[in-house]
Amino acid sequence: MSEKKTGRYTRRTLGKLMAGLSVAACLTAPAFAQDAGTIRILISQSPWLNSFVALVDQYQKDTGTKFQLDVTPFGGMVDKMRNSVRAQQGSYDIININAQGLAEMYAGGFLKPLKQIDASFTLPDGVLDFGGSAYWNATKNSFDPKGELLGVPTNGNVLVLYYRSDLYKHAGLKVPKTWDELMANAKKLHNPPKTYGFVSRGTRESVLFDFSPVLFSHGGSFFADPENGDFSVTLNSPQGLQALETFIKLNKEVGSGNAGALEQAELIQLLSTGKAAQGTAVIAAVADLQDPNKSIVTDTIETALLPAGPGGKHASVAGHWMAGIPKNVPDANQKAALKFLKWFLQKDTQVAYTQAGGIPIRKDLSDTRLAGDPAYRFIKAFSENADVAKMNTPLKEGVRMKEVISLYLNRALIGEISPKDALNGAATEVNQILTAAGYKLTPPKML
Amino acid sequence: MKAKTSLSGIGGNLIAWGYALIILGPMIWILSNSFKRQIDILMGTTIAPFTLVNYQLIINSRQSHFLWNLWNSAVVSVISTLVVLVIATLAAFTVARLEPPRWVTFILLGWALVFHMLPTLTFVGSWYVMFTQAGLHGTYTALILAQVVQGLPMALFLMIGFVMNIPRELVQAARLDGCTYAQVFRHLIFPLSLGGMAAAGALSFISAWSDFAIALNLSNKDTMTAPVAIATFAQEHQILYGQMAAASMLSMIPALAFIMFGQRFVVRGLLAGAVK
Amino acid sequence: MAIRPIDAARIERANFWWRVGSLAPAIIVLALLSIWPVFNLGYLSLSDVKWVSGSAVVDFVGLRNFHELFTGEAVYWAGVRNTIVFAICAVTLQMIFGFTMALAVRRASKIGRSVLTAIFLLPIVIPPIVIGAMWRLLLGRDFGIVNALLSFLSLPEVDWLGDPRFALISVVIVDVWHWTPFVFLLTLAGLESLDQEVFEAAKLDVKNRWQELRYITIPLMMPTILITLAFRMILSFKVFDEVFLLTGGGPGTATEVINFSINRVFFAQDRVGMGSAMSLLTIFGVAVLIVLANTVVRRRRKQRETA
Repeated sequence: MSEKKTGRYTRRTLGKLMAGLSVAACLTAPAFAQDAGTIRILISQSPWLNSFVALVDQYQKDTGTKFQLDVTPFGGMVDKMRNSVRAQQGSYDIININAQGLAEMYAGGFLKPLKQIDASFTLPDGVLDFGGSAYWNATKNSFDPKGELLGVPTNGNVLVLYYRSDLYKHAGLKVPKTWDELMANAKKLHNPPKTYGFVSRGTRESVLFDFSPVLFSHGGSFFADPENGDFSVTLNSPQGLQALETFIKLNKEVGSGNAGALEQAELIQLLSTGKAAQGTAVIAAVADLQDPNKSIVTDTIETALLPAGPGGKHASVAGHWMAGIPKNVPDANQKAALKFLKWFLQKDTQVAYTQAGGIPIRKDLSDTRLAGDPAYRFIKAFSENADVAKMNTPLKEGVRMKEVISLYLNRALIGEISPKDALNGAATEVNQILTAAGYKLTPPKML
Repeated sequence: MKAKTSLSGIGGNLIAWGYALIILGPMIWILSNSFKRQIDILMGTTIAPFTLVNYQLIINSRQSHFLWNLWNSAVVSVISTLVVLVIATLAAFTVARLEPPRWVTFILLGWALVFHMLPTLTFVGSWYVMFTQAGLHGTYTALILAQVVQGLPMALFLMIGFVMNIPRELVQAARLDGCTYAQVFRHLIFPLSLGGMAAAGALSFISAWSDFAIALNLSNKDTMTAPVAIATFAQEHQILYGQMAAASMLSMIPALAFIMFGQRFVVRGLLAGAVK
Repeated sequence: MAIRPIDAARIERANFWWRVGSLAPAIIVLALLSIWPVFNLGYLSLSDVKWVSGSAVVDFVGLRNFHELFTGEAVYWAGVRNTIVFAICAVTLQMIFGFTMALAVRRASKIGRSVLTAIFLLPIVIPPIVIGAMWRLLLGRDFGIVNALLSFLSLPEVDWLGDPRFALISVVIVDVWHWTPFVFLLTLAGLESLDQEVFEAAKLDVKNRWQELRYITIPLMMPTILITLAFRMILSFKVFDEVFLLTGGGPGTATEVINFSINRVFFAQDRVGMGSAMSLLTIFGVAVLIVLANTVVRRRRKQRETA
């Protein structure tokens, strides 16, 4: 009790003090009053921002709803989001959450269940949810389609395969169905330093993401049964080892040779300058690769479903964004926000979104007016990959898991440790961390 | 003897100009990038079609109002620098010449030193909470206050150094003439430490001007400063090198002008003995 | 001139308030905005913070975070090692280059001097975030200018940022490029404030420039050099923005630095307890270093005085 009192007291004194100091600055500070009916959105500065802004403008014109977009560098998104949802009064009515931060936001209980705003709301058929990532089951601590609906996808970014149709034609190659075929293609095209057969990212920031589809398609997994809350570590399985060896072989033998330092920017640089014949990258890169100001392969870059593992299983990994509505904003704002999101999910809206350069969040757009247009030739590969896309570390400790595992993978990639040691090491450490965090786990079997 | 001197003079000149080249090379390269298309930058093309599109995009587009960001930076850095100077100079005079209780000096300076060593990032979270509760999040006031506390330790140390250089006898003489400390400060210390203030001010201005971590978290769309705006060009999926280069060039102009005109003042200020 | 007792009392009172009032702003600003956050750090370092249904649940865990930090957290310790190597290499090079340039510029003609000074100061005014991004492009393996230059001179190309052996060196190079001007600025000011008469008097005793430098300039410049060194050391322990875009701490942990670990644990992983523990341990380490350096300097001074 008394603690609360002093807390409020100091806060008030603080407020007065600062108010005094702020007089001068206020004269020049732009007004930041928020009128009712303004939807405040936190969104990342990214290539798809323009398309989102176009939709927002359209909605504003149609309905008169006002918007305030806080466009933030990608690196600052998580901080701003946390700061806002943890405060007593949030600064945003809609927050765009990257796949990686989803579990934290969901598990922290910061978001308003969408059905509490509008009991009749469900995700329409055809809207992607990327492995149940719109729902959260608080008892199992997992993304469970039977759990509570907390988010709406706003950007359907997934990993896809890129290849150069001109090089394929020249060498008489076909789109690879398996990783082995991809390897064979790459060997034919690999001619360093002029052309690299296959490129993917391998830094500590990104290696886990690009490795995930290889792992999944080889029948491997990070955790035993994440949908049902069993997070026993299964990374160091024979399938996992095979996957990692394939991944390393691709990057070593037919890759750029410096995968350990290859980040998104360099990867896209290699693709857009025609140095890479094939590669895995997010579908969001399409916009850049088809832009003549940014690429010399605009007409020859093609997308496809990621190759399958030995068992014929295809997989991709979700790097999408979900919109959530925080609890700590006024009811009226929440209602208005959901109304906007509902409109956003409609098929027509999504077609317009795609035409404006966005990555759609529906898989049923191939029968729309986008179909015949070569500029949207990526839609097919997008839908196929999105259909098999999963989250890689779907738990609230996800970011830490990612960093722990990534370091081992990155070290294996640059040859500091063997693939086997990497997987064993990662599994042991992850198991330790999760056990300490209170998860009940079966300890991982060492390779 | 004479031949030798001029020879070493030439050697010194060679070294200096050689080093100038090492600095100018990348700068000119950044400048040239700001007039290139993204693909030409990515390809590493030296001579590429000239375009102003980067400047147009950052100055006036839906996503970027860089001149406004520059204005924000200017407001925050200038005001915070002035505040830092006033606070630091006042405190420095007292600490250096008026013999406050030793424990006060010890705690103040010791704390300033420790605080100076701390990674800024660890404070930003706490500041965010404080400013939000005070209703100041996203205002200039919040940014300025944070910059003030960030710049204060270094300015304090520099200013103490300067004031120490003002002969003790002058202060004593003024005191014997019946001056109060306030008068001593106004008529003696303040004019004599102007040079020092220029030096401390320059350093504090530069650190406020280029700060990223604080502004990232405490600013909003309307108060976003230049470095944060520049960082938005390093996006999740691409780095807009051309726009980034253009923005860097624009953000350097004020700081550059500052250096060109203030250089002599600053160097003279430091020369007055700050570094002793 | 005698001062009347009443005036003296009035002046005394005014002076008392002046002393209090002049220190107050500094103390208030620091207390308000820095002490509370540090207490916060101390408190958090002994806790484990979880977020449940929108509010924080803070468990007191004693020294568990510190225990874990000493037994695990290999990345942090790799960062400690790298930061020390980085700080020593970068600051040493900056001191040598900066001081050399200051000596060279002092000899230059008047116009040359101001042009050179202006050029040398350029890097300081570029936001560090830009420095990281731009050097990443310059040092890039396939399209970087540096490698293009090397191959033009028919030297072997280097994977500056991707090869674990070179990554830290690259970070040092970039930092030296960025911060040498700072050393230059301070040492130049120091040089110009030296008493010319000493040099004139010494002219008879020294045989050449080198001796003049060795026996006169450097000893006289010692205070300046030490202060500059201290400033740079402290700032290089805080290195962050440049590494952020340049290498991101990789490959492996080749360029991991302390602030990077703290930032990641604190913000990306949201483990505020461990992040606070790391911050406090870092502060403690740096404080010990400063005290040690101080003692050494003092002892040497004493020895010299008695000798």
